[in-house]
Amino acid sequence: MSRRLEFEIFRLNPEDPESEPHTDRFEVTETPYMTLYLALSQIREEQDPGLQFDFACRSAICGSCGMLVNGRPALACRTLTSQLPDSIRLYPLPVFRLVGDLSVDTGSWFRQMAERTEAWVHQKLPFDASAEESRMSDDDAQAIYDSDRCIECGCCVAACGVANIRSDFVAAAGLNRIARFMLDPRDRRDESEWFEVLSSDQGIFGCIGLMACEDVCPKQLPLLEVHAYLRRRLFASRLVGKQTDT
Amino acid sequence: MTTARAQLANELISGASGAVLAVFMWGHMLLVGSILLGRRGFDWMATQLETWFVAQPAVVGIFVLFLVHAVFASRKIPAQLHERQQLTQVSTDLQHSWTPHLDSKLWLWQVRTGMVILVLGSFHILLLAVDVLTPLYGQHAGIESTTTLGRVRAGLWLPYAVLLLCVEFHASVGLYRLAVKWGAGALLSRRTLKRIERALFWLILVFGALTLMVLAGLLDPPLEFLLPPATQ
Repeated sequence: MSRRLEFEIFRLNPEDPESEPHTDRFEVTETPYMTLYLALSQIREEQDPGLQFDFACRSAICGSCGMLVNGRPALACRTLTSQLPDSIRLYPLPVFRLVGDLSVDTGSWFRQMAERTEAWVHQKLPFDASAEESRMSDDDAQAIYDSDRCIECGCCVAACGVANIRSDFVAAAGLNRIARFMLDPRDRRDESEWFEVLSSDQGIFGCIGLMACEDVCPKQLPLLEVHAYLRRRLFASRLVGKQTDT
Repeated sequence: MTTARAQLANELISGASGAVLAVFMWGHMLLVGSILLGRRGFDWMATQLETWFVAQPAVVGIFVLFLVHAVFASRKIPAQLHERQQLTQVSTDLQHSWTPHLDSKLWLWQVRTGMVILVLGSFHILLLAVDVLTPLYGQHAGIESTTTLGRVRAGLWLPYAVLLLCVEFHASVGLYRLAVKWGAGALLSRRTLKRIERALFWLILVFGALTLMVLAGLLDPPLEFLLPPATQ
């Protein structure tokens, strides 16, 4: 006997001045291996063509289907309904700008974060098109690859208590991005430059250690280890930097 | 000093003061636990600590550290009510989710227990400072079992029970969070760290509860037989 799943879905169209925030109820019969993405598609197909939600890859790579599932940020495409109780509450991710219903604009948030943290390789060398690419050790490449697995779905940001109350906090995704460039031997930013970007309360010391980011990360990134690495690195650079302080 | 450097300094001060206070609390619990040996054990311990001038600087130093920790650790508490409500909402949602996440809620309880400790702990430390540094209560300057037992029996057991529960919770969760923040998660899994945290919490809480029951006169000192009989 397959379950009847009852969905409570947040509805609001910010473009329409008449639209009021409310929730709508839908019922769906569960099928084997049903994901939330499949259930939502079925609701849109058969019950409400106006329902807005995002998806592209359906395999936890594009990071566009993040939403609050019974209060917990998760990707709709990789959450099986069999993991969930009969009644399922779906809300858009907080922190991000609402596009409509379950669809949010994570792009703008990630863009301002990348601009603030200057998330690109600062080689500080004149560009030479004919020069050979510099080599990198396997260990470095592996460490960078691990950080680069972030798909920017925004789940860690939405689960972060600090990011929820302070819009200038770079959150776990931003800190992970900073660590990625810190690990990169091609990036020539020195400790003092890192220090100013990272050590404010918009950076690592804004983090109060709630640990939800790692628990909700759909890619299981070792975010707490990344944060600990950043703290230790700043502490070490402070110890070294002390002698040159004026 | 730039703001970035100040932030690092704040983080180090709040973390280190918390760690020292937590370790002090375990030592403190063991010392007060001398009452399990009976009043003679308790008085002997108090006299030793006072004769060798451990208790006098400790009561002053711990009070200062206590206040420093309160100031620096509280810098992260949201000031606005709507921010607190939002934080509570996020933590509660994560706690009751289909794969529960508790650590956010534990942080809120650390704030709440911290507030209780600030009030009851201040009272306790100041009372003991009067005991240690002045002859106001009892026969002489210093901790005496007669005064202490009398006070706890008369009703102080109630605030002390609340204080014990809050302190043990606050300290074990705080040490766990501090360990994860600085990278102990690379050596031991978070699950293991959490087990250690729980074990420490229950161990010290049970020990503290036994001690408090003896002080309150609800229980005879269970280890009194270990001491040689008193010579008259």
